[in-house]
Amino acid sequence: MTDAALPSEQENRAATVDPLPVSDVAQLCEDVRSNVGRVIVGHEDGIDHVITTILARGHVLLEDVPGVGKTMLARSIATSIDCTFSRIQFTPDLLPTDITGVNVFDQQNREFEFQHGPIFGNVVLADEINRAPPKTQAALLEAMEEKQVTADGETRPLPDPFTVIATQNAVEPNRTYELPLAEVDRFTKKLELGYPDADEEAELLDRTVGHHPIERLEPVADLETIVRARETVAEVSVKAPVREYATRLARYTREHARLGASPRATISLLRAAQARAAVDGRGYVIPDDVEREAPAVLSHRIRTAASGHDRDGTAVVDDAIERVPVE
Amino acid sequence: MSTESRRGPGVTADATRESRAFRLLAMGGVLVLTGSYVTVLLDVTAVVGGTRRLVALVVAMIATATVLARAIRPRTATVAAVALGGVGFAYYFTAAGLGVGVVFSATWELLSDSVAFATGLSVFQMIDVGTWTLGFVPAPVFLSWYLGLRRRYVASVVAGGTALTFLVLTGDAPTGTTALGTVGGLAAVGFGELERRDGTVAQTDVLAILFATMLLLSTTVTLVPGPGDSSDPTFLVDGDSPTLEGTTTNAPQRVEISGSVELSPEVRFTVHSERAAYWRTGVYDRYTGDGWVRTGQTESYGGELPSPPGETETVQQTVRLQGPAEVMPAAAHPVAVGDDAASNTEVTVHGGIRPDEPLAEGDTYRVESAVVDPSAAELRTAGTDYPADVTDRYLQLPEGTSSAFETRTQEITGDAETPYEKAVAIERHLELTKGYSLDVERPDGAIEEAFLLEMDEGYCVYFATTMVQMLRAEDVPARYAVGYTTGQQVADDEWVVRGLDAHAWVEVYFPDYGWVAFDPTPGSAREQTHAARLEQAREEGVEDVDTNRSEAGHVANASAGSQPDEADRLSERNQTGASVENGSGLHAEDPRNLSFDSNGTANNSSADDPDAASDADRSTDDGFEWPGVEQTAFGLALLVGFVAGAHRTGVIARASHELRLHWRGRRRDPDRDVERAYRRLELLLEREYRSRRRSESTRQYLSALSANGLVDSRVWRVGRLYERTRYGDGVGREEADEAIHTVDAIVRDRTPIVRRFRR
Repeated sequence: MTDAALPSEQENRAATVDPLPVSDVAQLCEDVRSNVGRVIVGHEDGIDHVITTILARGHVLLEDVPGVGKTMLARSIATSIDCTFSRIQFTPDLLPTDITGVNVFDQQNREFEFQHGPIFGNVVLADEINRAPPKTQAALLEAMEEKQVTADGETRPLPDPFTVIATQNAVEPNRTYELPLAEVDRFTKKLELGYPDADEEAELLDRTVGHHPIERLEPVADLETIVRARETVAEVSVKAPVREYATRLARYTREHARLGASPRATISLLRAAQARAAVDGRGYVIPDDVEREAPAVLSHRIRTAASGHDRDGTAVVDDAIERVPVE
Repeated sequence: MSTESRRGPGVTADATRESRAFRLLAMGGVLVLTGSYVTVLLDVTAVVGGTRRLVALVVAMIATATVLARAIRPRTATVAAVALGGVGFAYYFTAAGLGVGVVFSATWELLSDSVAFATGLSVFQMIDVGTWTLGFVPAPVFLSWYLGLRRRYVASVVAGGTALTFLVLTGDAPTGTTALGTVGGLAAVGFGELERRDGTVAQTDVLAILFATMLLLSTTVTLVPGPGDSSDPTFLVDGDSPTLEGTTTNAPQRVEISGSVELSPEVRFTVHSERAAYWRTGVYDRYTGDGWVRTGQTESYGGELPSPPGETETVQQTVRLQGPAEVMPAAAHPVAVGDDAASNTEVTVHGGIRPDEPLAEGDTYRVESAVVDPSAAELRTAGTDYPADVTDRYLQLPEGTSSAFETRTQEITGDAETPYEKAVAIERHLELTKGYSLDVERPDGAIEEAFLLEMDEGYCVYFATTMVQMLRAEDVPARYAVGYTTGQQVADDEWVVRGLDAHAWVEVYFPDYGWVAFDPTPGSAREQTHAARLEQAREEGVEDVDTNRSEAGHVANASAGSQPDEADRLSERNQTGASVENGSGLHAEDPRNLSFDSNGTANNSSADDPDAASDADRSTDDGFEWPGVEQTAFGLALLVGFVAGAHRTGVIARASHELRLHWRGRRRDPDRDVERAYRRLELLLEREYRSRRRSESTRQYLSALSANGLVDSRVWRVGRLYERTRYGDGVGREEADEAIHTVDAIVRDRTPIVRRFRR
């Protein structure tokens, strides 16, 4: 079930990181994008969103029908940036320890040894997350929030960078446990990839006949570059007009939905916008970055009175972008 | 979804503030409207007294309405107001001695009275107008304020407007006050609508346009002839001779005192009489501070009139008119009218006569008068036992009469004990201390005070008015009489009377004798003025100056020397003979000086005479005059309206747009410069394509325009620089200059005319 590698130890977390120049971030992103593009046909928007999520230290939730390349997208990005990748297939009988790992008694050394779970990876693909019972989901989401795992009273930090790419099956709703809102809120973004169009699908078939291109995919960036790029993103400036604009958007959703965007959502929105600006080669956020990120960042956190379905959240965010004055 | 929730809380707070401001303005409008008609009524009470009561009543009504606005429903309030009006008028009828029953017993008369008032009859003519104001004011004040508070602005304005309209129709509301009231009403309705319909400040420009339009219309279209509007043609009997008719017929119930006047030498009528007399055409009892009003109404002549109580001499006169007239000159006091004219004669409550239908040239009528001519000794002993109806009516002083006036009067009448001695002292004082001149500037304040305390000269109207008021200040009943002096005697029993013989004098009441004439106007010098005018007219060959018999007479003889009787009589009796040249008690002015302003309305006969010329000179010599408060306010209102109109039509927006586009401003820090350059660019793009939507970012805006191939890389460059100044780390001086020059170049490229030259 897992192909996790040992985590690199966390000493570099405390060390000061030298941020990458903004133009290099843009270049890095372009490299990753084109590399992934060798495997994934279309979905440029989705690729960008995943990259910016990683740079913004967030997590992403992909919701779609099976078979549109969710897993392939996650794997190819992980491969491109030369980091550890693990995958957890969520099933109804999955236990929390199946994710975090357990202490195993070593008969030879006559002591307990911690067996790392699949969560210890730089990029973790949590497949069909809504098929597992809430308790198991909670274990994952705690790890996402705390960036650490506690097993048998011992707390172990997760590797850095740490990004969860979760997928959620939109069909078969009666055989799933829907994620509670509080947990959905922990995903920076929720994306829907959608089906490829006719040309893209033909291209896809052409590529995958014979050897799958993922097997020949080479990394284009190392982990250190990613860490430095994340530092750059964190330093992208967000001026008052932009902050105010983000606040106005959030307030708008609160006024026009039963449950609007939380302050955590606003923070996520600005982080995502920072990443977007950096990817665009800019050292400052402009309102366009915010607008670009708002649907993916805010929609899934909004609940309207009519139903619990996220469609309405998207509509509210679109409305907000349409109506809220930029300055 | 309501508008409020759509706008969001911040916008709602603004809207609430705006709507509160609109409400205040609307209520201000109601207040102005109320103020306008209350002001008119205050003008009335300033004359007849009761200002304090009226103000207290108005304040009480507003307070009551404020309290009741929370308590009772509009229908109840309307009923209450109607009841209030009913009680008010019942009070008036009771106070006027008629009793409430008059409503039922004389309904038709009341209705016809109402119609009479509504067609230009001044409320001043009501005998008990002070009480009437108290009855009139509560209902409209209460109702309009109540309805305003209940946000029924239209109904409120209807209530107040009705009151104002009534006063406009009676001719008592001056144009300025009316305009102000109208603007107030419009403001109430307009701002009320804005409040109710959630309007914005930007929409008030429509109101400003309406205000200005109304003001403009109200000055160009005068629906109701104002008091003293002698030029209104509908009142003229004969357009060829506006002077006399304008004077004596237009507003026979009311005369106003004007400034300089001229003399008309035309013959008005001839009299066959057993003796000379002042030919009286009217008497007035109520003084308004700037004119005289005859209260009460006229009745048809129905047989002999009561004769004065004392001994009288009966004088038969036959008057033949030389032009149309709405007056019937006769010696005081007429007691009987010949049968031929009786049916066309009306009698005023003061005992004067006037024709019901205007008389035409050549008409003659006979009239019998009982002339009162007691001796000085008799008058001295007459006492002060005045009847109540005399003291009620003929002692009225304007409320604002100053103590200086009364003190001065007391000084003048110092040691006089009887009313007769007082009258003589006053008459003598005026004759001796004041000069005679037709060329006076009308004082701003009360005529009598200015004339007694400040002016050095005046003409008969000033003398007579002042004397009446001084007598009244001394509690001697007196009234103001107008008419003609005796005129030129052409035969033993015949007199020719001209326009310039018109005169004003005083009648004083003595118990047991009735009304006795006094003439405070001095003689001699004005007599020469008069004679010179006649001589001049004759030399110029003006028509209608003479009858067949008067031509032969020598001027001096004709105008002054030939009718000594009456003047002598007055002079001798009043012991002023020493100061008045013998036989010169007559002075004449154009009849207009008895009533209306004559400036600019000189008649044909005097158009080319030196007096008229000098008059014209005088008015042009005045040079530049600062506009008065009214003109300033009027001009200001028009200006605001004009600006609002320009705003509405977008002229101002376009002009300022153009200015902002080309005005790059002073250079400051680079960021500001870039921002300003970008704003100019946006303005340009706005003019050529469309404005940036508020929810559009710079990029989206430029992209949208780029998609249509409308913007080039220069525009994008400026947009990027702007983004950096606004969201990024700013720009340097060089980049700022680049932005400014780029925008300059773009603006030049796109200015149509410049572009043409460049090609």
